[in-house]
Amino acid sequence: MKTLWLTQVAAIVRLEIGKTFFSRRGLWVYLLACMPMVIFGGHSIVWLKRGLPCDFGHDTNVFASIFQVLDMRLTLFFGCLGIFMNLFRGEMLDRSLHFYFLSPVRREVLLVGKYLAGLLAAVTIFTTSTVVQWGLMYAHFPKSVMESYLRDGNGWRHLTAYAGVTVLGCIGYGSVFLLAGALMKNPIVPAAAVLVWESINSFAPAVLQKFSVIYYLKSLCPIEAPPDVGPVFSMLLVNADPVAPAVAVPGMLLFTMLVLVVAAMRVRKMEIHYGTD
Amino acid sequence: MSEPHEIVFDNVSKFYGDVLGVNRVSLSIPPGITSLVGPNGSGKTTLMNLMTGLLRPTRGSIRVLGVAPDNPEELFRQLGYCTQFDSFPKGFTGYQFVYSFLRLYGSTHAEADQFAWRAIERVNLVEAAHRKIAGYSKGMRQRIKLAQATCHGPAVLVLDEPLNGLDPLVRAEVIALLRSLAEEGMHIIISSHILHEVDMISDQVILLSAGYVVAEGKIRGVRDEIQEQPMQILVRSNAPSALAAKVFEQDSVVEAKIHNDGRGLLIKTKDPDKFYRLLNRIALNGIAVESVIPADDDVNSLYEYLIGSEDKPR
Amino acid sequence: MAVYKRSYKGYEGPLTSRRKRFLILSRYAARGIFASRIVTGLFILSFFYPLAMIIGLYLNHNLSVLSFMKLHQDRLFDVNGAFFMVFMTVQSAGAFLLTAFFGPNLIAPDLANNALPLYFCRPLSRTEYVAGKASVILLLLSIITWVPGLLVFGVEASLSGGAWAWEHRGFAAGILLGSLLWISFLALLALALSAWVRWKLVAGALLLGVNFVTSGFAAALNATMDVTWGSYLDPAKLLTAIYGEFFGMDLSLGVNTWGALASYGVICAFCTYLLSRKVRAFEVVR
Repeated sequence: MKTLWLTQVAAIVRLEIGKTFFSRRGLWVYLLACMPMVIFGGHSIVWLKRGLPCDFGHDTNVFASIFQVLDMRLTLFFGCLGIFMNLFRGEMLDRSLHFYFLSPVRREVLLVGKYLAGLLAAVTIFTTSTVVQWGLMYAHFPKSVMESYLRDGNGWRHLTAYAGVTVLGCIGYGSVFLLAGALMKNPIVPAAAVLVWESINSFAPAVLQKFSVIYYLKSLCPIEAPPDVGPVFSMLLVNADPVAPAVAVPGMLLFTMLVLVVAAMRVRKMEIHYGTD
Repeated sequence: MSEPHEIVFDNVSKFYGDVLGVNRVSLSIPPGITSLVGPNGSGKTTLMNLMTGLLRPTRGSIRVLGVAPDNPEELFRQLGYCTQFDSFPKGFTGYQFVYSFLRLYGSTHAEADQFAWRAIERVNLVEAAHRKIAGYSKGMRQRIKLAQATCHGPAVLVLDEPLNGLDPLVRAEVIALLRSLAEEGMHIIISSHILHEVDMISDQVILLSAGYVVAEGKIRGVRDEIQEQPMQILVRSNAPSALAAKVFEQDSVVEAKIHNDGRGLLIKTKDPDKFYRLLNRIALNGIAVESVIPADDDVNSLYEYLIGSEDKPR
Repeated sequence: MAVYKRSYKGYEGPLTSRRKRFLILSRYAARGIFASRIVTGLFILSFFYPLAMIIGLYLNHNLSVLSFMKLHQDRLFDVNGAFFMVFMTVQSAGAFLLTAFFGPNLIAPDLANNALPLYFCRPLSRTEYVAGKASVILLLLSIITWVPGLLVFGVEASLSGGAWAWEHRGFAAGILLGSLLWISFLALLALALSAWVRWKLVAGALLLGVNFVTSGFAAALNATMDVTWGSYLDPAKLLTAIYGEFFGMDLSLGVNTWGALASYGVICAFCTYLLSRKVRAFEVVR
């Protein structure tokens, strides 16, 4: 009986995994994850075709910029929105949430199970995408350059940092959108609000900055984006007050915990009102 | 305060914004089959959803065998709910629907498999068990919901319109199943629009109208309490005219009508006890009385007297 | 012997004409749209900027009022291509936001609740169904894009005279054609996305995402591959290029107007294909 909740979490994850990974409705999440891969793949093909000498440092900076703007702020953001917002609100719309609400499972356990299922899907899809993007970005360099980058340079550190940031992004955005799905009927409102908040976060007071996902993610990126990326990108990339990884990772996890606790409180009081959705 | 063997509603109200769901409901439901009867929008489903925690009461408290509905972990170990929602988790087969519930219940794979098949067998759905529920007919959906609600052997079974969409044969089987479960001491709460079936299977009824409980209890008991409506009694006799002349000797008889087949008399009386005593005397005086049957102590009549014939179900 | 009541008579009165029948859907859909306070609020908000511009134009032509307001200049702003460019960009952004809120509600619930058979068992074709739903978007977005745009143009024309209107007639054409292009694109995109995902909540987010992600994607494509054709994947930039052409602005976006139109054409054709695949009265359960 002591481990019943664990059994239940596992059962929920098993049930949800099919929906989060293989739903035809979720196809666009895969498309979203593939978009940056297309860009970096195209980049390598173009440079290979041109046969011109490549600048490793330049490519590293380009990757850093695109990762911070396209991956972190857009694909990860909207991908997590699609996956996590559906966990509760989608089932409300499908009129199938009562299946869970009528089983002997605490609502908090249900929330954890659903969150883990969403997280598993998001982490698998987007971390794979990040790693493949990174590989494709440098695919046009000679093998020896890559080997020395990985062996002697910071290659592995960069790769693990980018993958780690992606995982943390899924954890953070996942919790935010899970809460939004439990709270709001219309996802546009929270999505737009979070998007605006994450964009203007750099200009917010230091205390408020901590209540955002992007604040921690930016601090964990291994390379600061170069300043010559245009005014809009610069505004998004600026990190006036970065924090050390030792603070950023626990900070992010603490932030997630707080959001999940609020979500659990909301789900606990949730009623089935299919007619009004 | 609450009886642990009963389902207790203590002054429960539920409002949907400004709209009344149910108001000031105080009930104590004993084991057996209890039917919730009332027109559309009277609060039957609200009452069931409150009992199962899908809705939270605006006021008052509920205990199901001593457990609060906001404790699903405990509640759904002893309760199964066959809802009227005709939607299922996407992509599930009938078997998966029942099996998954049992896995959430905490059963191992082997147990869940065994219990799922037993429940599916009970509702005669073995052949369709591995087909997607989305392709099921209305009746099959009802049956798989019933299988899911009963698969874990609950002590309380809540069924919202369980007979809807079932063909007569399956309907009879389901009624027999419910009767046998009730005889084993299970609480079965049913909402139904089919009054003659409610009449057949119910041990007690709860009549609802516009969110209020109008009457509750055993059908006979409820009928006895409706003083303002004269009781109707059908007396079978081969001399109905003579019988009619005799019964009017007493002022408790309001109306007497010879039955259409000419072999009986339909009496309306405000004092049935007095009338029965009179009937004994009449029989002793030589008028043959074949049988005496109460003609309006059924759910149909209760419904008409207490709620009215408007929106009356079948 | 069976007895049949012969009192039933089918409806023999006038019917809505075949051509106008799809408007019944629009009427009901429009009624539902304004049930949302957010949509109503946004819709009202969309008139603030045109109203401010009309007041601005009036002030622009009334030196006495300007001097009364102690503004010692002969006009507040110049009414030129840039003025209309900004005006239409703001209104088009409003139109996009409004569509993200109400567009997905038009088709997605019908598909999610398997309601299409109810529509198609009536004398209503799939094209009429889509036209009925799209016409609501077209109508509402017209009210906030080209209608106020032409009104602003008309106000300026009435204040500046016929010669100004004739000289700048291209602006009026730009307001009308640019808006029609944008709102048709939005209508098709919103309907196609909601028909594809069937969930209004996902469709709304997706519409929002399409705008931002494609912009980011296009910019990233240009940056990594050292090209400019990535901009043809950015609908917002395409619209800017088209408005720029109409209003005589040299924006140097690296986007050719005909190329922009072709891009819109391809996206719209794909949306139409999606709609034709998804808006069907039956569903195969596998």
